[in-house]
Amino acid sequence: MHGPEIQWYVVLSGMLFATGALGVMLRRNPLIILLSVEIMLNSANLLLIAMSRLRGGEDGQIFAISVMAVAASEVVVGLGLIVAMGRRNVELDVDKLRTLRG
Amino acid sequence: MATASWVCLLLPLASAIAITAAGTAIPRRIAAYVSTLTTMGAFVAAIVAFADMAGKSAPHRGAATTSWTWLSAGPYHFGLTLLTDQLSIVMMLIVTGVGSLIVAYSVGYMDGEDEERRFFAYMSLFVFSMLLLVQGGNLLLLLAGWGMVGLSSYLLIGYYQERESAIKAAKKAFVMNAFGDATMALALFLLIQHTGKLDYAGVFAGSPHGGAVANLIALGLLGGAVAKSAQIPLHTWLPDAMEGPTPVSALIHAATMVTAGVYLIVRCHPLFENAYVIADLAAGLGAATLLMAGLIALVQTDIKRVIAYSTMSQIGYMFVGAGLGAYPNAMFHLMTHAFFKGLLFLAAGIAIHAVVGEQDIRKLAGVGKLMPFTKWVFLAGSLALVGIFPFAGFFSKDAIIAAALDRGWYGDVIYAACLAGAFLTGIYAFRLFFIVFTGEPSAFAREHFHAHHGQEGPISMLWTVGALGVLSVVGGLLQFAPIWHPLTTWLDPVDHPIAEATSTQEWVTSALAILIGLAGIGVAWTMYGAKRIKVPRAVPLFEKKFYWDELYDVIWYRMGDLVARGFYALVEAPLIGGSIAAVTGVVGLGSRELSVAQNGLVRSYVLALAGGLAVLTVVFLAVR
Amino acid sequence: MANFLVWVVWFFAAFACLASALAVVSFSNPFYSALALIGNLASLAVLYLVLSGEFVAAGQVLVYGGAVMVMFLFVIAYLGDRTDESPWSGGPSWQIVGAILAGGAILAEVCVVVGLKAGGLLSKPQHIGRSFGSPEALGRAFLTDHLLAFEVTSIVLLVAAVGGVVLGSHARQESDARA
Repeated sequence: MHGPEIQWYVVLSGMLFATGALGVMLRRNPLIILLSVEIMLNSANLLLIAMSRLRGGEDGQIFAISVMAVAASEVVVGLGLIVAMGRRNVELDVDKLRTLRG
Repeated sequence: MATASWVCLLLPLASAIAITAAGTAIPRRIAAYVSTLTTMGAFVAAIVAFADMAGKSAPHRGAATTSWTWLSAGPYHFGLTLLTDQLSIVMMLIVTGVGSLIVAYSVGYMDGEDEERRFFAYMSLFVFSMLLLVQGGNLLLLLAGWGMVGLSSYLLIGYYQERESAIKAAKKAFVMNAFGDATMALALFLLIQHTGKLDYAGVFAGSPHGGAVANLIALGLLGGAVAKSAQIPLHTWLPDAMEGPTPVSALIHAATMVTAGVYLIVRCHPLFENAYVIADLAAGLGAATLLMAGLIALVQTDIKRVIAYSTMSQIGYMFVGAGLGAYPNAMFHLMTHAFFKGLLFLAAGIAIHAVVGEQDIRKLAGVGKLMPFTKWVFLAGSLALVGIFPFAGFFSKDAIIAAALDRGWYGDVIYAACLAGAFLTGIYAFRLFFIVFTGEPSAFAREHFHAHHGQEGPISMLWTVGALGVLSVVGGLLQFAPIWHPLTTWLDPVDHPIAEATSTQEWVTSALAILIGLAGIGVAWTMYGAKRIKVPRAVPLFEKKFYWDELYDVIWYRMGDLVARGFYALVEAPLIGGSIAAVTGVVGLGSRELSVAQNGLVRSYVLALAGGLAVLTVVFLAVR
Repeated sequence: MANFLVWVVWFFAAFACLASALAVVSFSNPFYSALALIGNLASLAVLYLVLSGEFVAAGQVLVYGGAVMVMFLFVIAYLGDRTDESPWSGGPSWQIVGAILAGGAILAEVCVVVGLKAGGLLSKPQHIGRSFGSPEALGRAFLTDHLLAFEVTSIVLLVAAVGGVVLGSHARQESDARA
C-alpha cells in the first residue's frame, strides 16, 4: 500500500464523520443539514474503500458504489421536500418545525 | 336408629332448601305446610330413634355414625359424625316436638304475611341448625350448628326488614353471639392443641385436669354458652330480639336456641369438672342473672319483654343447675321450660294477634275478659313458671334449687338467691297475668279487638297452644326427684350428676319454694289484681335494665369509634391516602420533568441520537 | 521516492478534505457551503485514486459532483438567498457543547473501535493485482457476487426518481391552484 497506512485513513474518516455530525446537530438550514449528511456518507465511503484496498478484495468498493447510489436517491427526495417547503413559504429553519413538541 | 337420626336431621334441611328453591312458584300456604309437616316428620323420626334406643340396655344406647370425613388436615381428622345418645335424644325430642307445635302455630299467626315463604324457610333452617348442634358428634359440628342457629336467629329477628329497630336488634344479637363464637373457637383451638381431637370421647379423655389450660378451655366454652343463652354479661341482646315475630320468640328465644348454652355445659361436663372454678362461675352468673332479670321484669311494660326477661331468669336457673353439677335437673328444667315458656309466648301471641299487634300491657289490659281460652292457658303457664304444684315448673325448678345445697357455702348462697328469684318470679309473672288477663278491658283493647271468625284466633294457633298447655300441666310429672326419677336414670350414663340433694332437702326446698312463690303471687294480687295497694313508682335502675346497654355503648361503641377515628387520622389519611397521592405526585412530577426533553426541536433529537450512540458504543465495548 | 510523493499528495488531499468539510459546516451562506462540498468531494476522489480505486473515483466525480451537487446548486439558487445565522452566533449553549462533546466522542470511538476490533488485520496490507479497482473487476463483482445489491440499488434509484416526480408535481398543482 503506497502512502499512509490504514490508521491514517481511519482517523481521517472519523474526523470527517464528526464534522458532518456537528453540521447536522448545529445548523438550522435544512439544506446545510443535507450537505452535512453527505459529508458523513462520504466519510463512510472513504473508510470502505481504504479497507477494500487493505484486504485486497473489491467488496468494499462495491459497497461504496451502492452507498453513492442510495445517497443520490436520498438527496433527490430531501431536496424535493425542501423545495416543497420553499413553495409553501415555510421558513427554512428546523427550529421552527416544532409540532412534535411533547 | 341411625337412619332415624339422619332423617330427623335432614328433613328440615330438605324443607328449607325446597322452599327456597321453589321461590314464588308455590303458594304461601304450601310453604307453611311443608315446613310444618317436615318438622313433625322430624319429630316422628326422633320418636322412632328414641323407641329404638329405649329398647336397648343402658350401656349400649349411645351410637355415633359417621357419614364421611369432613375435614382432614395433617394428623387431624374430623368426620361428619352424628351422635345419638341419651342426652342428644332428649334434646332432639324437645326441639322437634316443641318446634313442630310452634311451627304449626305460626301457620295461623303468619297467615297473610307477604313474606311467609321466607319465614318458613328460615324456621326450617333453624330447626335443622339446632338439630345439627345437638346431634353433632364432635365439637366442630357443634360449632357449625352453633353458628347456624345464630344465623337463623339473625334472619328471623330481622324478619320485619322494613323496621329499623328489628334490623338493629338482629345485628345486636348476631354480634354478641359472634363474640361467644369466638371464645368457643379459641377453646376448640386449645383442645386441638392439647388433645389433637374434637370428638367428645377423645376430648374428654385427653383434656388436662385442672390447671390454667383447663380453665381457659372451660372459660371459652362458657363464653359461648353465656352469649347464646343470654346470661350476664352477654345478655342485652335477648330483650331486643323480641322484635321478631312471636313464634320466633317462642321457638328460638325461649324453647330451644337459648338453651343451647345449657346443653353445651351439660354435654361437656367433664371439661367443666376439670375446671371447677369455671363451673362455679357459671353457676354464679346464672344466679346473678336470674335475680337481675327478675328485678327488671317487674317494671317492663311490653308483654313480650316481660316474658323475655323471664326466660333470661329461668335460664339462669338452668345455668345454676349445670354449673353446680346437677345435670339431669338442668335438662329437666330445660324441658319443662320449653313447654311453659313456649306456651306463655304463644298465648301472648294470640292476644297480640287479636289486638292489631299491640304489645303494651297497659293497652292490652283486661283483654282476658274477651279471650277466656287464652286467659286459662296463660294462667296454666304462669303457674308452671312460678312452680306451683302440680304444674311442670314445680318439679324441675325445685330440684335445681335443692341440689344447690350439696355444694358447700357457695351452694347455700346460690340457694338463697334462687329462692329470692322464685319470689320475684311470682310477682312479675302474676303482675303480667293480672294486668293483661283480669279486670275490665281497656278502651284500646275493646276498640281494637277483633275475633277471628268468632274464635279467639285461627284454629292452628289454638290447638297448638292447648297442646302446650297440657304439657305444662302434666309434663313435670316425668320426674319428682325424691320419689321417681326416670330422667336422671336415663341420662346417667352420659351425665352423671355431681350434685344431688337428699330427699329431706328436696321436700323442704319444695315446700319453701311453693310458699315463696305463693307469697309472690299474693303480692302481685294485692297490687294488680285487687288493687289494694298502690303500685310503687318504678325504680329507674330496673327500668333502665341496670344500665348495661349504656355501659356497653361506652366501652365498645365509643371506644371503637375513637380508635377508628384515631386510625383514620393517623394512619389512613397520611399513610394510605398519602402514599397513593405520593405515587400520583411522583408520576406527575416525573412526567413533567421528562417532558422538558420533548421540545419538538429536531436538532436536540439529533443530539440525543448522537449522544446515545456515543454512550452505547462505550457500553458495548466495555461489556464485550 | 514514489512513496514520498504519495505522502505529499495524501496530505494535501486530506487537508483539503477536512478544511472543506469544516467550511461546509461553518459558512452561513448555503451557496458557499455547497461549493465547499464540491471541494470536499473532489479531494475525496483524489484519495480514492491513491487507494487504487479508479472506477470509484470516477464514479464519485461523475455522480456526486456532476449530479448531486448540480441538483443542490439548482435548488439553492431556486430558493433564493436565505442566509442562516451561524451556529455559534447566540453564544455557547447546551446544544453546542453537547454537539461538540458528542462529535468528539464519536471520533474517539471510531478510532478505538476499529483499532480494537480489527486486531491483526490492520497490519498486513494485501498485495493487489493490476486489475484491482478496474471497471472490469468491479463489473464482474457486481454481476456475479453482488447481483442482488446491484438490482436492489436500481430499484432504490427508481423509487427515488418516482418520488422526486411526485414531490415536484404536487407542488406544481399547488402553485397552479394558487395562480
